[in-house]
Amino acid sequence: MNKGKRKHIWMIMGMAVILILGWNPTDAAFQNGTAEETTAWTEPEGCTVILVGKDASTDGSVMSTHTCDCGVCDWTFRYVPGAEHKGGADRPIYHVSQYVTWPPAQGLKWEKIKDDYIDLDIPQPPRTYAYIHGMFGYMNENQVAISESTIGTHRKLVNSTPSAQLDLTMLTLLGMERAETARDAIRIMGSLAEEYGYGFHDDGEMLAVSDPSEIWIFEIMPVGPLWTPESGQPGAVWCAQRVPDDHVSVCPNESRIGEIDLNDSGYFMASSNVVEFAVEKGLYDPASGEPFNWKKAYSPRETSAAESGGTWARMWRFFDLVAPSKNFSPDTPNMELPFSVKPDKKLSVQDVMHLTRDKYQGTDFDPAAGLRGGPFKNPNYHPRPVEVEGVTYSTPRTIGVNRAEYTTLTQCRGWLPDPIGGIVWLCFGAQDTSCYMPLYIGITEIPQSFQIGDHWEFNRQSARWAFDYVDFHTLVAYSHAIADVKLAQDRWEARAVEMTPAIDAFALKMYQDSPEKAAVYLTEYCNNNANLVVNAWWKLGDDLLVKYRGLSIYDRETRKRVNLPYPEDWLKEVVRYHRLPPQPPRKK
Amino acid sequence: MFDQARFRFPLVWFLALVWTLTAPMGAQEKIPEAQLPLLTTSAGQSQDVTTLNIICEEAGILYDYCDVPDVELLSAGAGLAGREGESRSGFHIEVHTDLEAYPQGTPYKTVIFAIGASLKGMGASGLTVDDEVDRLRKVVEYCRQQGIFIIAVHVGGVSRRGAPGSDNERMIDAVAPSADYLIVTRDSNKDGRFSQIAQEKNIPLTEVAYALDLVGVMQKVFAGGA
Repeated sequence: MNKGKRKHIWMIMGMAVILILGWNPTDAAFQNGTAEETTAWTEPEGCTVILVGKDASTDGSVMSTHTCDCGVCDWTFRYVPGAEHKGGADRPIYHVSQYVTWPPAQGLKWEKIKDDYIDLDIPQPPRTYAYIHGMFGYMNENQVAISESTIGTHRKLVNSTPSAQLDLTMLTLLGMERAETARDAIRIMGSLAEEYGYGFHDDGEMLAVSDPSEIWIFEIMPVGPLWTPESGQPGAVWCAQRVPDDHVSVCPNESRIGEIDLNDSGYFMASSNVVEFAVEKGLYDPASGEPFNWKKAYSPRETSAAESGGTWARMWRFFDLVAPSKNFSPDTPNMELPFSVKPDKKLSVQDVMHLTRDKYQGTDFDPAAGLRGGPFKNPNYHPRPVEVEGVTYSTPRTIGVNRAEYTTLTQCRGWLPDPIGGIVWLCFGAQDTSCYMPLYIGITEIPQSFQIGDHWEFNRQSARWAFDYVDFHTLVAYSHAIADVKLAQDRWEARAVEMTPAIDAFALKMYQDSPEKAAVYLTEYCNNNANLVVNAWWKLGDDLLVKYRGLSIYDRETRKRVNLPYPEDWLKEVVRYHRLPPQPPRKK
Repeated sequence: MFDQARFRFPLVWFLALVWTLTAPMGAQEKIPEAQLPLLTTSAGQSQDVTTLNIICEEAGILYDYCDVPDVELLSAGAGLAGREGESRSGFHIEVHTDLEAYPQGTPYKTVIFAIGASLKGMGASGLTVDDEVDRLRKVVEYCRQQGIFIIAVHVGGVSRRGAPGSDNERMIDAVAPSADYLIVTRDSNKDGRFSQIAQEKNIPLTEVAYALDLVGVMQKVFAGGA
C-alpha cells in the first residue's frame, strides 16, 4: 500500500472519529453547564446535627446528634456484626432510599432493600467492622460515628439517575464497615463516591464524622444527571472541615463549610475537583477576586432566623444557646454565622440531649406562645409553614420536632477501650416526650423491640410505639402533661447518665479480664435498661390517658377530678373574639 | 498490494471506537420527529423530571415546564398563561419557550412525561398516588384528543421501578401505553416492561445506557424544530 493511499485512509478515519467525538454529548454535558440557576433545588426541612469537640465537652468526649426528622421513614435499628472476608469477596451495593418503607408483613427494610441490588459488587476488605445501624450507620466498633443532615444543592447538580451508584445511606454503611478513624471514613466515602458516582436517592448532604479525637463536617454533592462512570470525571464533589477541639457547631439543613484552605490538611480535606467543578458549572468565578467559598458555590441559602420568620432559626438558636455572650443576632444571615464557636460553658451529654429538645422557648419564635400553642402551650401545631387562601406563611421550625423518627447522640470517649468508650444514646420519636437510652458500641445485640414496627400499624411489641403513645397523650394538655414526662425523664434518662461512670468502671474491670465477658455485661445492661424504659413509657402513656381524660385532671391519690385550668390570657381572648355575654349576677 | 498486517490493528481499534461511541444509539427503532412548542412534565413527581429538563437544556431544546399541569394549564399553550410567578413548593412553572417564535398561547405540539413516582414529591404537591394517576389520565386524554405528540421517558432505573402495582408502575400504566414514543434507560427496561408496551401498542422505543445519551436522542427528535 503506498504512502498516499494510507494517508488518505487515515485521514478519513480521523475525520470520522472527530465527527463522532463532535457529536458525543459527553463534552457538551461537562462544558456547557447553565449557570443561571443559583437557587438550591431542594427545600430540606429535615434533620439537625449538633457537633461537640472533645475539649468543648465536660468529660472530654466527642459528641454528635442526628435528629432523624421525617415522619414517614423507617425507625428500626439493628446491630451488624463484624466479619472476616476471604480474598476476592465482594460487597453487593444497593440503592437505599431514606424514605421508602414496606408494610411489616412484607419484611424489614434492611432485608427488602436487597431487592434493589444494582448489579454492582465492590471488593470487600479483609475485615469489616461491627456497627449500629438505623437509617444510616451510626457508630462502629472503632468509635467512628456519623450523624446526618440534608443540605440540598443546585438543581443542575442533582443526579437521580442510576449512573449514581451510591447514595448517602450506602456510603455511611461502607464508611462504618471500613473506617478506623474519622479521617478514614471521610476518605473512604469520598473516594467511593467519586469512583462509583453519588446521588440517586440523595443530593446535597452533610455528615458529622467523628472519632474519640476529632469531629469533622463532611459535605458531598452529586455532579449532575449526565455523569457517567466512563467520563473519567469524579462522580461526586466533596469537602470536609474539622471542628476545632474546643468548639461546637451545628448543621440544620444548611451547608456549613465556607472558605477552605487545602494546604491545612489538619483541618480541611476535599475531592480533587472541588474548585474546578464549581468553575466548570459557573458556580464560582475565579476572576471575581473573591476566594472560593464552598457553601456559596454549592449550597447557598440566603436567609436568616428573622427574615424566615423562624423557619430557618435553628442555626442562630443553637449558637445563641451555647454562646450567649456573643450576642448573635437573629437578623444575621445564616451564611454569615460562624462555622463553629467556643461555647460559654462546656457541654455535658445531658446538655446536648436538652439541646435536641429545644422549642425556642422565650424567644420571638416560640411556637407555643400566643394563640399558636392553644390554651395548653402545645408547640407542635404548626411545625411547617401554613397556607391560607393561597398565601404561604412562615412558622418557626424548632430543633426538636415531633415528626422525629428518633434521635441519636453519639459519644466517642478516647480514655476507654472502644467497646466501652463508644455510646449511641437513642431516643425514639419526639425528643421532648421521649427518653435517651444508652447503647454501648461493645454490645452484640439490641432489643428486639428496637428492630420492628412502622408508622401505619400500631404495635405493642415495637419500642417506638411506646414513645408515640406517650407523645400522643401529651398533645391535648401539653403544658400539664409535659411536666409528668419530665419526671419520668428524670427518673430514667438522668439516672442512666448518672450511672454511666459506674457502668464504665465495672465494664472496664471485666474487659481487662475478658473482653467477651465485658461485651455480655454491656449487652445485658443496655438491653435491660431499654426494656425497663420502654415498659415505663407504656405505663406513662396509660397514666397520662387516665389523668387528662376529658380535659380534666383525675388525681389517683385523692380520687378527685378537676377541670383543666385554662390560662387567663387565653380565656380573655376567647371572650373578646366570640363576644361572649357575661352571665347575669346570680339571684340571691 | 494491501498491507493487511500493518493495517489490522488500527482498523480493529477504529471499529471498536465507532462501536463504543455509537452503541447507545445502536439497535434502536427509527427515531420519530416531534415539534415545538414543548412542555415537559412529571408523571409521579420524582426528580427525574429535573434530569429531563437538563437533557433538554444540554440538547439546546427550548421548553416550558410544569410539574403538575392540569388540562386547563396545558390548554393555555406556550408560556403557560404567564403563570410563571405562581411557582411555589409542589407547583413549579418555568417558561423557556421562544415566545417570539411561538407566541403566548400557541398550542403545544409535544409533551414529554418523565415517569417516576416519589411519595415525597407527590406529598409536596399535595397529591396522593390516586390523585396523580387521575390527573395524568386526564392530561394524556387531552393530548390524544388534540393530537399532541406524547413522549414518555423513564431514566430512574430498575430500583425506581418497583413491584407490579407499585406507585411507579401505576405511573407507567397511566402514560406509557398512550405515548407516541418511549425513551428508556436500559436498566429501566431490564424486565422488558417497556419493550412489551412498545410491541403491544406499536410505539417506537429507544433504549439508551445513560441519561446522557438522551441528549443526542432529543436533538434528533427535535431536529426539525417547528
